[in-house]
Amino acid sequence: MRKMGFKEFLFILPILILLTVFSLWPILQTFSYSFFDYRLNDQQKSGLYLSDKYNVDLFMETSDYVKFYLNGEKDVVDEEGAKIIGETIALVDEQQALFEGKTGVIELTGDESDKVGSFNATLEENINILVNQYELVNESNYQYIIEELNTSLISSNFTGLKGYSDAIKDDRVHNALINTIIFTIASITIEFILGLGLAVIMNKSIRGRGAVRTISIIPWAIPTAVAALMWSYLYDGASGVIAQMFENIGLIASSEELLLSSTGAMISAIMADVWKTTPYMALLLLAGFQTIPGSVYESAKVDGSGPVYTFFKITLPLIKHSILVALLFRTLDAFRVFDLIYVLTGGGPGGSTETMSVYAYKLMFGQTNFGYGSVIVIIMFLCVALITTLFVKVLGTDLMDTN
Amino acid sequence: MKDTKYNVILYIVIAVYLAVIVFPFFWIFITSFKPTAEIFGEGAFSIIADNPTLSHFKSVIFEKNMLQAIKNSLIVSVVTTVYVVAVSTLAAYAITRFKFKGKNLLLGLILAVSMFPQMVVVGPIYNLFMELGLTNSYGVVLAYSTITLPIAVWILVAHLNKIPLSLEESAKIDGASAFKTLYKVVLPLATPGIATASIIVFINAWNEFLLTITLNTNKEYHTVPVAISFLRTQFQILWGEVAAATIVVTIPTLIIVLLFQKQIVSGLTSGAIKE
Repeated sequence: MRKMGFKEFLFILPILILLTVFSLWPILQTFSYSFFDYRLNDQQKSGLYLSDKYNVDLFMETSDYVKFYLNGEKDVVDEEGAKIIGETIALVDEQQALFEGKTGVIELTGDESDKVGSFNATLEENINILVNQYELVNESNYQYIIEELNTSLISSNFTGLKGYSDAIKDDRVHNALINTIIFTIASITIEFILGLGLAVIMNKSIRGRGAVRTISIIPWAIPTAVAALMWSYLYDGASGVIAQMFENIGLIASSEELLLSSTGAMISAIMADVWKTTPYMALLLLAGFQTIPGSVYESAKVDGSGPVYTFFKITLPLIKHSILVALLFRTLDAFRVFDLIYVLTGGGPGGSTETMSVYAYKLMFGQTNFGYGSVIVIIMFLCVALITTLFVKVLGTDLMDTN
Repeated sequence: MKDTKYNVILYIVIAVYLAVIVFPFFWIFITSFKPTAEIFGEGAFSIIADNPTLSHFKSVIFEKNMLQAIKNSLIVSVVTTVYVVAVSTLAAYAITRFKFKGKNLLLGLILAVSMFPQMVVVGPIYNLFMELGLTNSYGVVLAYSTITLPIAVWILVAHLNKIPLSLEESAKIDGASAFKTLYKVVLPLATPGIATASIIVFINAWNEFLLTITLNTNKEYHTVPVAISFLRTQFQILWGEVAAATIVVTIPTLIIVLLFQKQIVSGLTSGAIKE
């Protein structure tokens, strides 16, 4: 094998760029989002602000209006009111002097942001007293003024690990995690048992094996969203033929129950997933079977072992690697399930099928709460790492050793 | 005697299995010809419609923009396939032919990318696309690399490993550069592997849902899976149109599966078997 020079390095440059921009960088970003209260629909939180910031221009403009309006009130207030007005204007002048000569959005030191905070509070308090006691000329404007002043101060939205501690206490996260685990374990178990049986059958030299294999991969090749929609029609209480069949054979009390009860919806989602991916599992296992040389079985036969003994003591150990790889990839697929649930039930009814992916998606793109959504995603990421570690422990390190 | 009995059971199991696989498609197929009135109520469970109609197909194709969605899906899937397979071939060639530091790191990284939840990259990519003004464009194909690169690299590494080095060595003795060797000697031999990778990448891109629904919110840029999931009004899902649309968009997939069954199976299983 040749050593890699600069020219040869160009071969891997494109993949490095793509991996960096579209996989590694986003992961790091999501990781940093998870430490902020980051919401796209909130001006104050639509960025990652480590320190408090102050919009000086906006403050200067607004505070000029404060002075202008308050000056206009002098005729409608009594002596006491005039005193408050005078004090307030002095306060504003003082504050303006503090930021004299600065423009744009500046970062505040801790000391300065305390000052801004107390200034805003005092101003609001004074104005409220005036508004409550007198019939002011510019009454309707003060509310906006106070709002503007508050927006001038952009507080840091760095929350550190608070998102994570919130998530640990969040019932919806518990619910989503439990749903994800139920979905994953149930569908993988069923798929594995059915897939193994199918692989055994397809491994026999039967007629039309090619046709069986071809039909098997069709569900895999159909977009999950389309398959989910198909199933939601078959499950539909009013017109779904599967729901009707289940009712007729007594599996469920009424056909509406399938998608509209919480257990029914979860079972429906699992069945749809099993339909879609069992053939894939079977193909992976079949590939494993086909690597076993026929001579192994011949010698087993000579030794007089029965078919059941041969299967459990010879076949299964020999395809252990294929089994674990298939299980690992399918487990991770099931754990991050999104399209199927999102289209089939939308996480409902009442959150009974809401998985981690669906919850994270709703947080990020339904509520534009990227900070907390990212926390959920990072938790998923950690779970995936944990699952992988467990599998690799059992599998040994040879998963990566392709050469 | 025992063998025939055993075979009968075997064929019954296979028949049941195939029926389960095919039944949803069959039911969607007959539904697509039922007028809306027969989809609900008494007609819902009859196999042949009393008044068969093509109106759902007409509505889906001419009113609901399904042709546009198919066009979008074709564009994004083809573009993704071309560049992802090109990039993966270069990378797989380097991985199988050259020694370099961090090769295991690169392989581990590619494996890790195929494992992590897609949701982890969507937020930042959404922000990136917003800033670059790439939302609602075919730029989404770049983000598709996250889901398609790993599998393409694995398939191609498996295939390139099988091509004997001796041919390349003689090319090298004749003075060919690494790129020329790849282009003139390796690529022709690797065609089956490249075809396999292309088909798998194409299908993965065709089925992609999350990235399109988040990055391309404009209907004009919806791909098939997303467009179909939007075939609903506020209160009900338009089952007749859903059925017709499913039939329309499943046909290309069916053709691909029927034509390339062997390549798809070998591609799917190349990660699982170790020789």
